Amino acid sequence: MSDRIELQKKAKGQRPEYFADPAIEKTLSITMALAGEVAVMRDRLDTIERLLEAGGPVSRSAIDAYIPSPAVRAERDAWRDEFLGNVLRIVHQEREELQQAAAARPYEDVVRQVESAE
Amino acid sequence: MNAPLDLKNQYAHAVLPQTSSDEFARQEFVKSLKFHLASEVSLGNRDAFEGRAARQFAKAEGRAPETMQDVRKAMQDDPYFRFWSALQRNSQEMMWKAAQLPVERQLGDLIAKAEGAGACGSLRLDPDLPVPRYHAAVDIHCMPGGYHTEFVPGDLANGAVYDRAVYIYAMGRMGPLNSDIGDTTIAYLKQHHPDFKPRRILDMGCTVGHSTTPYVDAYPDAEVYAIDVGAPVLRYAHARAQSLGKPIHFSQQNAESTDFEDGFFDLIVSHILVHETSNQAIRRIMRECHRLLAGGGIVVHAETPPYRDLPAYDAFMLDWDTRNNNEPFWGASHELKAEVIAAETGFDPAEAFEAYQPSAFEAEEARRTKVFQGGDFGGGGAWWLWGARK
Repeated sequence: MSDRIELQKKAKGQRPEYFADPAIEKTLSITMALAGEVAVMRDRLDTIERLLEAGGPVSRSAIDAYIPSPAVRAERDAWRDEFLGNVLRIVHQEREELQQAAAARPYEDVVRQVESAE
Repeated sequence: MNAPLDLKNQYAHAVLPQTSSDEFARQEFVKSLKFHLASEVSLGNRDAFEGRAARQFAKAEGRAPETMQDVRKAMQDDPYFRFWSALQRNSQEMMWKAAQLPVERQLGDLIAKAEGAGACGSLRLDPDLPVPRYHAAVDIHCMPGGYHTEFVPGDLANGAVYDRAVYIYAMGRMGPLNSDIGDTTIAYLKQHHPDFKPRRILDMGCTVGHSTTPYVDAYPDAEVYAIDVGAPVLRYAHARAQSLGKPIHFSQQNAESTDFEDGFFDLIVSHILVHETSNQAIRRIMRECHRLLAGGGIVVHAETPPYRDLPAYDAFMLDWDTRNNNEPFWGASHELKAEVIAAETGFDPAEAFEAYQPSAFEAEEARRTKVFQGGDFGGGGAWWLWGARK
C-alpha cells in the first residue's frame, strides 16, 4: 500500500456566488456532504444486515469485501432516490408550487371564457 | 478484451482505481444525486421560467422572452434556478472529491502499475510543452488541477480521477469504457464513408483515451495516434490502453501545432475537445488539421448541439456550464459553424459538414432524460458532429 498523497482541493477559477451570504453557500455544501455520508453509512448498514441474513461472518473485512449484486445495487439506487426526495423536500415543494403557477391561466382568461358564448 | 462487457459497471482495466466499499458508496451517492437533480429538480427550472420568470420579464420588458439572452435575463436571479445551480455545482465538486479519495490512497501503486506495464503502443512526453492559456486560466469543468498538474513525479492522478469521474458524471451512459463519443463518431464514419480506409488516425485532446481505443478495432489496419497537453492523463491513457491491448501512440502535444509531417493522417478526430479550447485555438487547430491531412482525408469533431438548433430555453439550460462549471469556451463554441471555420482554415467550405449521430451506446436506456442540459450533457441520446474533408 502506497503512502497517501493529497490532491488539490479547489479547482482554479472563481467560484460562482448563488446566495447573498457566503455562509449560505458553505452551509448548503456541508448539508449535501452530510447527506452523502448518511448514504454511505446506510449502505454499510445494509451490507451488515445482508451478511447477517446470509448467516456468514460479520467482520470489518467481510463488510469491506462485500460486493453488491446488480439487484442489491438497484435497491440501493431506489433507496437513495427516495432519500434525496426527503432531503430535498423544500425544493420539491417549491417545484410543485411553480408547476401549478405555470399551469394556471391568468384569471382574466377564465372570465373571458365563461363570458363567451361557448 | 473479448469477454462480454458488464454494461452496469465501469470496466475494471489494470489502472482503474480500486474503491473500498465506503468509497464506492460515496461515488454511488454522487451518481444518485446527479440523477435526482437531472430527473427531478432540473426540470423544475422550466416551471420556474413559465410560472414566474417569463411573466416577470414580460411585465418589465413589455414582450415575451424570445432569445437565449432573454431567457438568461429572465432566469438569472430566479430563486429556484439559483438554488438548483448551487446544488448542481455542489454535485460536480462532490464528484471530484469522491473520485479523488481512492486515488489519494493508492496513487503510488497506480504509478508503479503504469510503469511496469508491457510494450504495447508508445508514450512520448514533452516536459517543456507550455500549458495553453485556456487550460492554465481555470481548471476545466472544476477538476482540481486540470489535465496538466503533476502532484508527484511520474504522476497520473488526474488521469485516474478523470476516468472514474466521467463514468459517474455520465451515470454510466457512455458505456463501461466511457467510449460512447468515439463509438458514435465511428458509426457516423462507417455509415457515410463505408469504403474509407485511413492508414493513420489522430485523436486530438485524447485525455485518458476513452474515445481513442475504439478506433483500434474499427480500423484494424490503421496506426492510431493520440495527443493531449496533459502529461498525467497521457501516462494514464497509455497504461489503460496497454491493459486493454490497444496499441496507440500517445504524445504530449498541443493540437494547434504538432510535430507530425504534412499529410501524415487520413483521419483526424476529436471528442469534446473543441469546447475546451478558444476561438483562436480552434481555428489554429483546424489549420493544423488541414496541414496534417492527406488529400481525401477527413476531420471530425464531436460535441453537443449548437445553440441555433435548440429552443431558447433549452439553449439557456445547456449554457449553464459556461458560467457555472469552469467551461469558459462552452457558450462561444456552441455558436461555431463548420462551413465558416472550414472556409477560414484552408478547407473547401463545400466539403464541410454538420450532423447529428444517435448515441452508439444503447443499454437499459429507460433512465435517460433525453435532453441536453447543464450538468448532464451526456443525456441527449445523440452527439453533434462537424468537420470537413480535404
